Amino acid sequence: MITKRQLGFAVVALGLLVIGATVGVDFIGAGRWSGFGPLQRIGIGLSLPTIVAGCILIRLGNRPA
Amino acid sequence: MPVSRTLKSLGATLAILVVLVYLGYLIVYAAYAVNLFQWPFDYDQGEGFELYDAILYSQGEWPYQDNSTFPFYASNYPPLFHLLIVPLLPILGPRLVAGRLVSFAATLITGGAIFAIVRRKSACPEQGRRGGWLIPLVSGLAYLASNYVYQIGPLCRMHMTMVMFETLAIAFIAEFEHPRHGRRNLILGLLMLLCAGYTKQMAVFTVAAALSYIFLRDIKKALIAGAALAVTAGAIFWLLNTATEGQWWINIIQANVNKFDYRQTVFLFGQWFRLHTVFILLAAGYLVYELFWDRLSAYSLWFLFSLGAGALSGKWGAGFGYFTTAIAAACLTSGLALSRLQNTARRTPHALRILIPLLYLLQAPRMLHLPTSGPLFGPLARALGVDDALIQGDCATFQYHDAMGYTQLGHLLTADDYTAGEDILDYVRTADGPVLSEEAMFSLLAGNPVVTNPTQLLNLYNNDLLDTTEIIERINRQEFGLIIFRAQFYPQPVLEAIGQNYQPVDHVCMNGFYYHILWPQRVLDDTSAQPDQ
Repeated sequence: MITKRQLGFAVVALGLLVIGATVGVDFIGAGRWSGFGPLQRIGIGLSLPTIVAGCILIRLGNRPA
Repeated sequence: MPVSRTLKSLGATLAILVVLVYLGYLIVYAAYAVNLFQWPFDYDQGEGFELYDAILYSQGEWPYQDNSTFPFYASNYPPLFHLLIVPLLPILGPRLVAGRLVSFAATLITGGAIFAIVRRKSACPEQGRRGGWLIPLVSGLAYLASNYVYQIGPLCRMHMTMVMFETLAIAFIAEFEHPRHGRRNLILGLLMLLCAGYTKQMAVFTVAAALSYIFLRDIKKALIAGAALAVTAGAIFWLLNTATEGQWWINIIQANVNKFDYRQTVFLFGQWFRLHTVFILLAAGYLVYELFWDRLSAYSLWFLFSLGAGALSGKWGAGFGYFTTAIAAACLTSGLALSRLQNTARRTPHALRILIPLLYLLQAPRMLHLPTSGPLFGPLARALGVDDALIQGDCATFQYHDAMGYTQLGHLLTADDYTAGEDILDYVRTADGPVLSEEAMFSLLAGNPVVTNPTQLLNLYNNDLLDTTEIIERINRQEFGLIIFRAQFYPQPVLEAIGQNYQPVDHVCMNGFYYHILWPQRVLDDTSAQPDQ
């Protein structure tokens, strides 16, 4: 059984992964836009609430997810 | 007491009104379906190809063939929907109604499953209460009332059959810990997931949702279930690929890698939200509630993962149909949310008896769609103030209103459409050679071979997987007696070869689209030479 805390860590990791990928595409030169493109903005917009939700879940401790 | 009685009566009246409104949507859906069942030609481009796949299976042939050689045809979908049509072919003949009935029945089963799940889960045995009728009934009917389900439901397309299998899969998986039937439910759930995946590849998001749910509750079972599903699906995949000499992989996987336009996805997410606002907000609220205050259910996880399918709607060839899983999940989960609210709010039962019907009544007009003419729908459209609403096609105007705005689907067919279809069929029957058509039904109805699946050719061409040498040579030799264009979805070199060897002779308006009829130059030369002979 997975706990809220464990789920929280997974959710935070997912959010960080999305942020990493969103920012990382500029370093490898992928994407069609120069600078910070619309898909990157969407990626950041989705990952920040995900990280917040994950942090709350971590604080909920060992209750079953 | 009088206030309480008044509130109770008001609640009952509103509940009856809600049921009548959503039953009204069911009548609109049934009328549209019956209208389509009679229409022998493609209503949505691609229907005829799905039927042709079923015909090939009934003849013991694979639809996964080499697109570079005559007849340049292959399917880009898995086989299950087409196999479900096969038993109906001896009864109904090679007609689209066979596939349309399968898809329509699938939507009714999905609606029925949503009703049954919400009714079962909303029961409160500790309080001695059964599930009630209003919330389960409206949850099931709401799925059929969705603009998207209405438009795609009675088409000979596989998408709604996939949603049916997905819904049944989630229903079984949600009960995998049942004390007596847990093992059976798990096996049936995995079987339904397999069926959903082999109906359409999009089911992968529901597979992820189901396995995630099992993982949250029982890691070992999730790993075993996931491995069993992967091995079974993989074995079938390998067998199909071997039997088709690799064409399965090319046509199912490689051909489906298409360009993605995020603006289309953003637009469709907005439209989906605007049309189904109340259901989505309730489902999202229930997801948040379960995430932080309760345990996550299979239904909430399904709703969350189904958004992934919606995110792919920006793919070329995709569209609003990619949201139908999310609609089923939202209707189901919103019903569970309201039932939960009803069961927990013991102090304010009368307020909820009014609030819940009001929410459903608030939602109903957001999805408004109906024909605006005819003895039944004409007066109804006038009463609703949408009688002057029209949908403008390329070459015709339809008396149909849809809250989603412009749409190619949803309107009823007219006598002019039937006449136009017969006109095109006359061209096909008198063609001097095989017919290259962007819709299969003209060839099937005329008893001609189906040649090319244009969108599949384009998909393959865009992925550098198509050798156009033979088809261009045949076009240059003017072997095709007739070409019928609707959207000109053929690869550019094919279109250029056609332009050099064929001439338009007629433009027939059918179902709101121009069908361009092209003859080979040799036929036109013969025709112009005849008066001199």
